[in-house]
Amino acid sequence: MRVAAVYYDGRQARPHPVTLCVEGDKLLLQGKDIARRDALATLNIQPPLGNTPRLILFADGGRCEVADRQGFVDMLPRDAGSAVSTMENSWLYALAALLITLGLVAGAYICGLPYAARVAADRVPVYLLAQMDNQFFASFDETLLKPSALPVERRQAIRGRLQHLSLPPGAAKPERIEFRDSPELGANAFALPGGSVIVLDDLVKLADNDEEIIAVLAHEMGHIAAKHALRQMLQASVVGLAMTWYIGDVSNLLAAGPTILLETRYSRDFERQADSFAAELLRANGMPVSQLADMLQKLETAHRPDELIKSAQTASTLDYLSSHPNTEERIKRLRGM
Amino acid sequence: MVEQQRRQLQFSGSGGEYFRIWIVNVCLSIVTLGIYSAWAKVRRNQYFYRHTTLAGAGFDYHGEPKAILKGRIIAFLMFAAYSLVGRFDPLAGFVILALIMLLMPWLLVRSLRFRLHNTSYRGLRFAFHGHSSQAYINFLLWPLLSALTLGLLVPLAQQRIARYTRDNSAYGSAFFKFSAGVWAYYNIYLMTVLLGILIFVALMAVTVLLGSSGLIPVEADQLRAMSLLIAAVGTYLALFLIAYPYVAARLQNLLWNSTSLGAHGFSSYVKGREMVGIMLGNVLLIVLTLGLYKPFADIRLARYRIQHIELLANGSIDEFVAGLQSQASAAGDEMADMFDFDIAL
Repeated sequence: MRVAAVYYDGRQARPHPVTLCVEGDKLLLQGKDIARRDALATLNIQPPLGNTPRLILFADGGRCEVADRQGFVDMLPRDAGSAVSTMENSWLYALAALLITLGLVAGAYICGLPYAARVAADRVPVYLLAQMDNQFFASFDETLLKPSALPVERRQAIRGRLQHLSLPPGAAKPERIEFRDSPELGANAFALPGGSVIVLDDLVKLADNDEEIIAVLAHEMGHIAAKHALRQMLQASVVGLAMTWYIGDVSNLLAAGPTILLETRYSRDFERQADSFAAELLRANGMPVSQLADMLQKLETAHRPDELIKSAQTASTLDYLSSHPNTEERIKRLRGM
Repeated sequence: MVEQQRRQLQFSGSGGEYFRIWIVNVCLSIVTLGIYSAWAKVRRNQYFYRHTTLAGAGFDYHGEPKAILKGRIIAFLMFAAYSLVGRFDPLAGFVILALIMLLMPWLLVRSLRFRLHNTSYRGLRFAFHGHSSQAYINFLLWPLLSALTLGLLVPLAQQRIARYTRDNSAYGSAFFKFSAGVWAYYNIYLMTVLLGILIFVALMAVTVLLGSSGLIPVEADQLRAMSLLIAAVGTYLALFLIAYPYVAARLQNLLWNSTSLGAHGFSSYVKGREMVGIMLGNVLLIVLTLGLYKPFADIRLARYRIQHIELLANGSIDEFVAGLQSQASAAGDEMADMFDFDIAL
């Protein structure tokens, strides 16, 4: 049996129409002005790829292209296909691969990445984290953050109350508590990776009593105890990288949307954990959990009108919404505790 | 004189066929924690190359997966070093970035060498013979200068890069030649800038008109700021979605129409309008299918771009002969991929 092929000698671009046949362990190639006989073991026979021609690469740079794929398989049945090319050819395998891929990606997103981030976060040296906090203050003080206008006594009082809290095992008091004023961010408080907590003036003004402020700080301590800021950062960078890799070449702008959506799930989980931590801490210190719920309610209403009036500040509103999703749901959950 | 023959490049890949190859390789890459991705890359390139045919013969890709894996590991480590260190210490991150930038031209030369050396047509390899010293001028100096001049020199830098890469590329022993001047590049971008200004002014006029007639509820003193904002965002979006495919189409045409190989020329006639349609359609379908349309989109775009290129053959194309071969490493190639450097060959 002979199979038609086109042969290139690797030295010139001229095509040679030839016929191929196998004799024992040798491949015979014959054309008008060319003939060669090679041991099959010396040939690089490429596995099939879609419906592209079958290819035989010779050790000296010669090359044979066989358009007749069936004839090729009849001639060299041992080279009908590799494991990978067989899978690539079958819709059944493609479906299985799709399901496995979706399962693994979902698993990595829901369990794998959060787990890896937790393990990694525990291994980041403390001095690096402290450095990150310093970095944060260095870049945002005097820009987004202004010095606090609160009286020193008031700040001392809040710090003092925090010192006297009894903590659940494993938790630590914040490394430092910094008071700042920021009209842009409004009533807010946040925990940094290194264990610093920033309290904004508007939040203190919004609270009816110190216990409400302590409730918010307890929530932030929950973030610190579990290193949420660092973990969120690690998880977000992996999600962002994956998205950019996947659809970045289509549009970087487009990659940002799904990234933000995907990160919401992580921050929602962290908020819940921090709420639970705060509830436990408040209860251990004889304070009602409702303090935090009340404060959340106030924050929610304080930030709402922002959205309507200051349309130019959409960015900060958006930021608030994405990092504190479903405030209503959280309030309900806290009230039930 | 020999009569000129027009030979159109053909692309015979199909979405369904490529989807299966793509998903199997993605799955294997994930299961092997990324190690198989080097083999997947070879497979992917081979699929596109072998489905691209000219005058009855296909192109082929010969990259060695192990070399690519080595390159990927180096690229990954450098990228990880940059992004991790940068988070904790911006200064150290900047130093690493500067080092990578300094290394980049050298890596790009390696990358071009690897890519072209591993591309063949009719049994002959392509090759890249560019020197690193010129690479520093073309891949580092001009882009830096264009950044310093707020983008005014971007078209110039692009022309220099295209000229450097094409003039140093060879098929067998025959060199490519690139003839486009700087003004052809400025022309493309000038049209884009004019388009942007037009969109901006139109959006501005419409919002001011709607605002002052009370159709948008906004106070008079805020109207100007708001219309400025809307026009700026709108122009950005429009340029992003329309200008990118438009510029890509014009650049492809300019690149191939100015390229010759020995006595042979090329002709490319991609239409900006159609390119916008294909790219926007692709983006839309990828979003609607949660990413599953990606392989179909890749095929669709490749087919359109490839089938609009012709070889203008003056005489036989059987006479090309092999050139001297040199070895090439994959590290540069992966580095370029990682840092999103597209040199548009």
